[in-house]
Amino acid sequence: MLKKTYDWIDERLGVTPIWRDIADHDVPAHVNPANKMSAFVYCFGGLTFLIIVTQILSGMFLAMYYVPDIVNAYRSVQYITDEVLLGNIVRGMHFWGASLVIIMMFLHMLRVFFTGSYKAPRELNWVVGVLIFFVVIGFGFTGYLLPWDQKAYWATAVGAQIAETVPFVGPYIKTLLIGGDILGALTLTRFFAIHVFFLPAALLGLLGLHFIMIRKQGIAGPL
Amino acid sequence: MAHDHFRDRIPGTPRFKEKDKKKPLGTEPFFPNFLLKEWIVGSLFLVAFVLWIIFNPVHLTDPADPNPSGFIPMPDWYFLFLYQLLKYFPGDMVWMGTVVVPGVASTLLIIAPWLDNSKARHPFKRPVATTAMTLAVLLCIWLTYEAEVQHEDALAHAPKPVDKSEMPVDTALVDEGDAGAAVFKQSCAGCHGADLKGGMGPYLLGVGNKYDAAQLAEVITKGFPAGGMPPGGGITDQAKIKEVADWLAKQKQQ
Repeated sequence: MLKKTYDWIDERLGVTPIWRDIADHDVPAHVNPANKMSAFVYCFGGLTFLIIVTQILSGMFLAMYYVPDIVNAYRSVQYITDEVLLGNIVRGMHFWGASLVIIMMFLHMLRVFFTGSYKAPRELNWVVGVLIFFVVIGFGFTGYLLPWDQKAYWATAVGAQIAETVPFVGPYIKTLLIGGDILGALTLTRFFAIHVFFLPAALLGLLGLHFIMIRKQGIAGPL
Repeated sequence: MAHDHFRDRIPGTPRFKEKDKKKPLGTEPFFPNFLLKEWIVGSLFLVAFVLWIIFNPVHLTDPADPNPSGFIPMPDWYFLFLYQLLKYFPGDMVWMGTVVVPGVASTLLIIAPWLDNSKARHPFKRPVATTAMTLAVLLCIWLTYEAEVQHEDALAHAPKPVDKSEMPVDTALVDEGDAGAAVFKQSCAGCHGADLKGGMGPYLLGVGNKYDAAQLAEVITKGFPAGGMPPGGGITDQAKIKEVADWLAKQKQQ
């Protein structure tokens, strides 16, 4: 039955070549922790992606309740934490996951660096990886403001002041960031839009490139 | 049409026909063998993650208040090294810390594959790259640590929220039309509250019970630098200090 359904779809859409392309390749022994425990360092990239997936999912559920305006943002986060079923877990997952993504991504980057895996022909994938790093930092900065509590507000105020110190363009960067002269309602909606639309679009695109390049270039051989 | 048309375009040999092909020892198919192991690692990781979440609930601080309230801001931990870096470029040099150093570091990171372009990949065979990255990581860790230490220090020296449990219950202000009251409103109310109920600074209701005008004037003139109150409480004019002290001395409670 299952096989028949698969064949029916395959006949019309040609699924087999697609999944063979994605999944049907051999993984070398030196990255397999089942062969050698120390190969666990090669798991960091995959774990980073796993945490990013949990960030996307928990973020989608938070967006069901979160209200990005200065009157309701704080209260909606409070509501998620105190009232919504498992809301504290979902919020906790999004909060702690942010730190975990940074940690795992940093470890992944160090592994790639110290094993020299960025060398030819994988230079471009390294560049894309560094761009992903910057995008994730952007997620951290914009996400921090959204609960609209004292910590969020004043940390962002400091961030905006720091941006203002850039020579020549500083004031423009600050205006672009906070959407006006003062940190307020416009800043919150702006950070929200960046956090849930602009950055995810950039991240998904870059991750796509990252993975395509891993398949094209293969995994670097043992040291 | 087409069934065979698609099959023809399948890249590579199907797995089931590859059994007798020689492969390097330890190599295994990504799907499903390797992916299954990845899932096991991932599941353990997720279980640990969820346990951490359950035992470390997230708390909100107070709602955002745009009025300066003495809240000491602190960026998230992964920005601390950048934040700390700025402290070493004070005043006019701050652009070194905001643009030049992070800009150079980011550029070096991006072009690393072209800087370190030998064939060697083992970390010990490319000492410059390895040393540079190790030093950079150590520097980031040290900066983060310093930022944390300095923040703890600032918190320890910050004015403590005032214990209001002892505050007199009868809260009527005496002689609100007094000239001293106007000065108070302008210079002191920010910390001590327009209603004298305190804020960042202590409450002053009934302060006239404890001190007379001369004592109050002296306290105001000296300030409480350790507690965050500058000498004179921000008032430079001696006459005005006296006015406030006179008015505060009238604040007696039964």
